[in-house]
Amino acid sequence: MSDFGGMEDLLQDFLQEANDLLSDVDNKLVELEKMPDDRALLNDIFRGFHTVKGGAGFLNATELVTLCHLTENLFDRLRVGEIDLTAELMDVIMDATKGVREMFGELGQMVQPQPADPAVIAALQGVLSGNAVKLDQPAAAQSESLAPTPASGEPDWSVLHAAVTGAEVSAPVSSSEVITKAESAIVEAVVTPTAVVSQSAAPASPFGRRGTDRPGGSPTSARRAEERGRENTIRVDTSRLDQVLNLSGEIGLTKNRLTSLRADILAGKSDAETLHALDQAVSQLDLLVSDLQNSVMKTRMQPIGRLFQKYPRIARDLARQLGKDVELVLAGEETEVDKTMIEDLADPLIHLIRNAVDHGVEMPEERQAAGKPAKSLVRLEARQEGDHIVLIIADDGKGMSAERIRAKATEKGLISEEEANTLDERQSLNLIFLPGFSTKTQVSDVSGRGVGMDVVKTNIQKLNGSIEIRSEPGKGSVFIISLPLTLAILPVLLVLLGDQPFALPLSMVREILPIEQSRIQEVGGKETLVVRGEVLPVIPLARLLGWPPVRYPEYGVFMQTAERSFILAVDSFAGRDDAVIKSLEDFRPKGVAGVTTLSNGQIVLILDMKELLSDLGQHSDIGSGIRALDFA
Amino acid sequence: MAADPKMRFLVVDDFSTMRRIVRNLLKELGFTNVDEAEDGAIALQKLQAGGFEFVVTDWNMPNMDGLTLLQAIRATPNLKHLPVLMITAEAKKENIIAAAQSGASGYIVKPFTAGTLSEKLNKIFEKMGQA
Repeated sequence: MSDFGGMEDLLQDFLQEANDLLSDVDNKLVELEKMPDDRALLNDIFRGFHTVKGGAGFLNATELVTLCHLTENLFDRLRVGEIDLTAELMDVIMDATKGVREMFGELGQMVQPQPADPAVIAALQGVLSGNAVKLDQPAAAQSESLAPTPASGEPDWSVLHAAVTGAEVSAPVSSSEVITKAESAIVEAVVTPTAVVSQSAAPASPFGRRGTDRPGGSPTSARRAEERGRENTIRVDTSRLDQVLNLSGEIGLTKNRLTSLRADILAGKSDAETLHALDQAVSQLDLLVSDLQNSVMKTRMQPIGRLFQKYPRIARDLARQLGKDVELVLAGEETEVDKTMIEDLADPLIHLIRNAVDHGVEMPEERQAAGKPAKSLVRLEARQEGDHIVLIIADDGKGMSAERIRAKATEKGLISEEEANTLDERQSLNLIFLPGFSTKTQVSDVSGRGVGMDVVKTNIQKLNGSIEIRSEPGKGSVFIISLPLTLAILPVLLVLLGDQPFALPLSMVREILPIEQSRIQEVGGKETLVVRGEVLPVIPLARLLGWPPVRYPEYGVFMQTAERSFILAVDSFAGRDDAVIKSLEDFRPKGVAGVTTLSNGQIVLILDMKELLSDLGQHSDIGSGIRALDFA
Repeated sequence: MAADPKMRFLVVDDFSTMRRIVRNLLKELGFTNVDEAEDGAIALQKLQAGGFEFVVTDWNMPNMDGLTLLQAIRATPNLKHLPVLMITAEAKKENIIAAAQSGASGYIVKPFTAGTLSEKLNKIFEKMGQA
């Protein structure tokens, strides 16, 4: 299945490095639009394509070489000022860059890339040959030849060398004399065969195979199939690895100390000195192990800038498409986030940015009429706040009106008029996260996944995170995503049913309150508790687990999930803990997210509230369940 | 002159994948004593520290490009005899002339195989043997 037998490692390296390079190029292109004459930018972009081309050659990725070569030549002309950067040219360049990225996608699937879109190639060639070439014209006007076959296409170095320098290999370059006509004639003679060879080898096109040379599906269908493969490798700062190594060494030493103490103790030695040494060694081990855990966790942390890099380009493309003037401003790129989380954040963030550009920001005229600058700013920011990562997507657009959102949700039948009337501002804004709320079908545009706001919220919640909206009509909207630092450690609340502890993800817990039976009210046949004006259903944990009710639960945990808020009734609490989650691989009972071990060695189940509640949904009637329990 | 497999190479390229490719090809040819540098400036530092017997350098790099590196090597008394093989992406006439004028020992166009590299190296070794 692979076109890269024996080169898979090389390909992975190449893709990782080249992807970074291309993201960098993308950002520089966005900057270039603002400063079209910046030579340093032009040079950097030129070098980016040049480097990718060089690497692609070794992978025999002919089509990628061709596309990069043309784009590189274009930038060569731009940087020497032979051609000017126009808006049309910028579009061609953007298309070419997109093509390169698509080819990376194909390479990621272990297949040689299909030829680039002929229109892009023709456009590039057109510009290079003086703007006049039309789509159907053969691409023979190219003066400079690409030499994909090195063996045949190279000049004879020794002849050339002799011609230019007089065959003194180690001669210093004092001979800075101008090349005489005779010399350059020799050079000409040596170099030109290149052109002849490569042109005769591929008469149809000097740029290699055409699409028809290749059996198999159409290029577009192959591209559609492109699926982002997960990166299985990670780049780690060597100083961090050294730290891990160091700590393992220290732990080894402490272990030796403990082994020798054990021998002493087993031999009956239990004087104060021995016990003190034992105490010291264990304390030290404790410290070292938590340091080691931290260090290992850090090896998984990556600056979120790697993800952010891709977005200015996406925002720019969409804004252009919509005729808007938008600048995406990045901040906090150096904030470090768990690698898996970075990957899972890619789609939700793209959606929120697109949403801001598409729905949040107004057209330039509208903005000016409202007394705002025509250009709008969308801010994407990351920062660490305590043990959380906070991501902010803010626009200075028209904002959202709670009233209009309520009306729309009612109109779509997502909520009833009655329900709509009880919602406050925050709850109303949150309606946009309901499945079926998003109107625009952006399926094809948003990375082909049909991501709606509901999916954004679900994805964030999968990462144990939460998302919040603030909006002010006329001023703009802010989406605030809050995420735990890592997924490996989950802060949990330990609750008790009888003597048995269970762990609940702390991120869902809003507060803990005592349940007084006298305050429980039946509303519509369901047991509810009114907390500061909010009517919440009371669900006993015992019932969710299918346990027989033993006594009336004394405490309630105010929990909030995507779908609902409710009071989970439990017997008691055993405190909070940072659980190291062990997943249950082969045996996974419904409603159990994993297990963790308490300091006393007791094994505790971590509950998956969503799954437990979905089970409840099947019985559909929470209240009847509660009534069925006989607490008297 | 038979090449010494212990010969110490410096591979200069800003693209780490490319350094790895060149390193692998050299290994295929039996040369395992290879160090790397990310650009001309770093390469020059390493070279000045001594111990290198052969430089394989890319042309287009940030900070200091391959041609400038080559010129710097040729202008440094204790380095000027080092053989320098230039790697570039295409056989452009002006590039080749510039490389030759600046005293490159050889010139190789990407992509290349171990065979091509071996050929280029041997030619340079031959010349060194004569010198």
